[in-house]
Amino acid sequence: MINSAISPLFFLNSMWLFNLSRKKPRHPVLSKSRDQFSTFNQDLPLDDYDFVVLDTELTGLNEKKDEIVSVGAVKIQNLRIDLESNFYSNICPCQEVPKLSTLIHRISPGQARQSPPIASILPDLLDYIGNSLIIGHNIGLDMAFINRELRNNLGGVLYNPCLDTMRLAKIYREEQWINYYERYNLSVSYNLKDLSEEYGLPVFPEHNAMNDAIQAAYLFLFLVHKLKHGNIRTLKDLYMAGRSWRWMF
Amino acid sequence: MFASKKSNAHALDSAVVTQFLEKTLPFNELDRNTLENLAKHATIDFYPKGVKILIQDVSEVKHIYLIQKGGVKLYLQDESGQITLKDYRGEGSVFGALAIIRNAKSSLTVEAIEDTFCFLFTKKSFVELLNTHPGFSQYYLKTFSENYIKKSFSELRKEKLTPKTEGALYLFTVKVNDIIRKKPEVVTPVETIQNAAQRMSNLGIGSLLIKNEYGKISGIITDKDLRSKVVASGLPYSTPVEKIMSSPVETISANKVCFDALLSMMSKQIHHLAVEYEGRVIGVITSHDILVIQGESPVYLFKEIMNQHSIERLYELSMRIPLVVRPLIEEGAKANNITRMITVLNDLILDRILTLMQEELGPPPVPFCWVVMGSEGRKEQTFRTDLDNALIYQDPKDEKEKEAAQKYFRMFGQEAINHLVKCGYPPCQGGNMASNPKWNQPLSVWKKYFERWINVPEPEEVLNSTIYFDFRPSYGHVELGFKLRDHLNSLVRGKDLILRYLAQDCLKTKPPLSFFKNFIVDRDGEHKNRLDLKARGLVPFWDFARVMALRHGIDETNTMGRMELLQQGGHMPEDLYTKAKESYEFQMQLRFLNQLKLMEAGESPHNFINPAELSDLEKQTLKGAFSVISNLQGFLKETFKLNIA
Repeated sequence: MINSAISPLFFLNSMWLFNLSRKKPRHPVLSKSRDQFSTFNQDLPLDDYDFVVLDTELTGLNEKKDEIVSVGAVKIQNLRIDLESNFYSNICPCQEVPKLSTLIHRISPGQARQSPPIASILPDLLDYIGNSLIIGHNIGLDMAFINRELRNNLGGVLYNPCLDTMRLAKIYREEQWINYYERYNLSVSYNLKDLSEEYGLPVFPEHNAMNDAIQAAYLFLFLVHKLKHGNIRTLKDLYMAGRSWRWMF
Repeated sequence: MFASKKSNAHALDSAVVTQFLEKTLPFNELDRNTLENLAKHATIDFYPKGVKILIQDVSEVKHIYLIQKGGVKLYLQDESGQITLKDYRGEGSVFGALAIIRNAKSSLTVEAIEDTFCFLFTKKSFVELLNTHPGFSQYYLKTFSENYIKKSFSELRKEKLTPKTEGALYLFTVKVNDIIRKKPEVVTPVETIQNAAQRMSNLGIGSLLIKNEYGKISGIITDKDLRSKVVASGLPYSTPVEKIMSSPVETISANKVCFDALLSMMSKQIHHLAVEYEGRVIGVITSHDILVIQGESPVYLFKEIMNQHSIERLYELSMRIPLVVRPLIEEGAKANNITRMITVLNDLILDRILTLMQEELGPPPVPFCWVVMGSEGRKEQTFRTDLDNALIYQDPKDEKEKEAAQKYFRMFGQEAINHLVKCGYPPCQGGNMASNPKWNQPLSVWKKYFERWINVPEPEEVLNSTIYFDFRPSYGHVELGFKLRDHLNSLVRGKDLILRYLAQDCLKTKPPLSFFKNFIVDRDGEHKNRLDLKARGLVPFWDFARVMALRHGIDETNTMGRMELLQQGGHMPEDLYTKAKESYEFQMQLRFLNQLKLMEAGESPHNFINPAELSDLEKQTLKGAFSVISNLQGFLKETFKLNIA
């Protein structure tokens, strides 16, 4: 369990065990999600899986009180970002959008008020995600908000395994460490934009759910090809990527 | 598929791709709808450094690849495993298009040489584009020389200059033929001056041609001749016109444009030109005729300079040169025309200064010739080029004359430079000016200079003296300059050593493509991240033309002129000439507009450009232009057998 805490599939493991004991959810995608991923083959080549890269903008960071104001997602199929079907929507939260968060994501309280409520967006989002694996930068936060809303509105949560590009980036950074002491370098940033700039990826304006989703998709493609010196073939390889280093010490 | 867009949702779609396409050749020519449609069907893929994206003769090409970030190399491998590098492609470049057009497997191997992100468009959507947008497919089929060079020129003009003058000017489009107003009036050589004058005044014209007994046009008389040669010097009115006519008549071909006529008049300091068509004179045009079609013009400035009798006034007039040149650029003049115009005006300023100085100082003890060198010598001046000049005087007969000449010309050179500097021409940092006693010498000393450079060339010295090989007599007793040029040509004949030195030097300049991704730019200092267009792009052309002209005894000093003569003489292949000409003109134009822009922004003009500020089209054209440098260098290598030694 200690090892799984640093693995990119952390949420897959923890939430999954916890949620399996619950009763069957009402929404067909949610119940299918549960059936599908209770037995799940991790040994297929990565390009056989469909991924959805997801990002949300929030009214704040409190998982209990704050709400989602926009969600953006893009698909990765055959390990290529597919721009044909994006998902994006602003969402009207129950509370007023705080000024502080508007300054970050530039969605004004007025704009939010004109958008549909989360309940009417969730079914579309579920359809869109389907059986894909979910990717995001610090995806745990986004999933906590999405699953809370799912539970409240549709009586279930998503069982789709999640991959965190932030964790992948940490593993990649560890791989790059030549000098032991570099680990204590405090100026290292795992911010999505900083990472993208550091790796020389195309950089898009941040704090728009769509752009950040696309940005995270670029980061994912980059890391998947770069980790283990390009020797990641299957989902399992990716899962194991973070472990070897710790085992050696 | 799932409903990915709700009608009330704010959909961003594939703005990422669309925005990129809008900045990328040739996609930027497509309309927005087409782009958005294309972008919607795009996928994005990532290739780490070292990965082979397409493999020669193996890969089926299912997409075209547009590089968003990173770079690739394209190469060929033959049966023996020998690898030939074909090209590098960077951001905004496409690969895979040819295979799709030819409907064949990839003919090259494409390998990522950096971490590379590509937009992939399906074969189907690309083929559809080719079929529906003819301009788009042309882009992929044309070669550099006929490709976008024309568009690039017009884009340069449009984008770099905000129009200042209103209304179209016609100097570059109207043919001389179109401004002839009537048939030429002719008289016989024995006609009296009085009859001729009567005829001119009856017809209301300012000139008459003189036709000799063989039916040939042998001369011309103008109002000015009647005034200065007849009335002012009190000739009897019964004198035959042949005594006062100017002969031979300066002519211009009927299909030349007015600009050429103007330039010819200005450089010869005349106001009438006979227009010739298939060997016959079909009319006479005057500078006034051209003035009429052209509102604000260099001609006014030219006239003002001509009629100036105070050196101090010339200072201001010379500052006006950039102002009159500007409309020419707006009108579509190529850099070549503009530099020639500037040269004519600068030469005239020089002419007036030196003439007025002689009126002040008294006539020189022996005839002399003022020569200009460097860019002035090549007639390629831009706005404020450093002064590069020298003075040659006839060898004095005896000691006494020698002393007098030395004293006079030292002072004369010094004074002239003072005036020119006040006119706004920056002095040469290297001291290559007539004010420097070393470059203010009798012909025999000059001959010795060249003898030393050519017979016992010291590499360092030779390289510092290259500008002297571009000398051009511009004022005074020009025969002295021509004599020196003849001497130089006879010296060089058969002297391979100096030519090889010069050729070798030309090979030193590496073309400014980093052979990948944009251009080599300066890494530090005042011009950080900028490209020195002169040193990297233009100097190789000057060097090439100079050494080849020397080798073949060509007197011309203008770079384009030299190359044209080289090509005509069969010393340079035609396709190389054509490519070199286009490449050179484009760079000159770019440099020129850059300087004009700087001057209008109140900065002092320089030769550095920032590649980041260039449009995609300009970048591509410039890249193509630079690639010609390698061709020129290759040609030199072969000609001088430099790869053997």
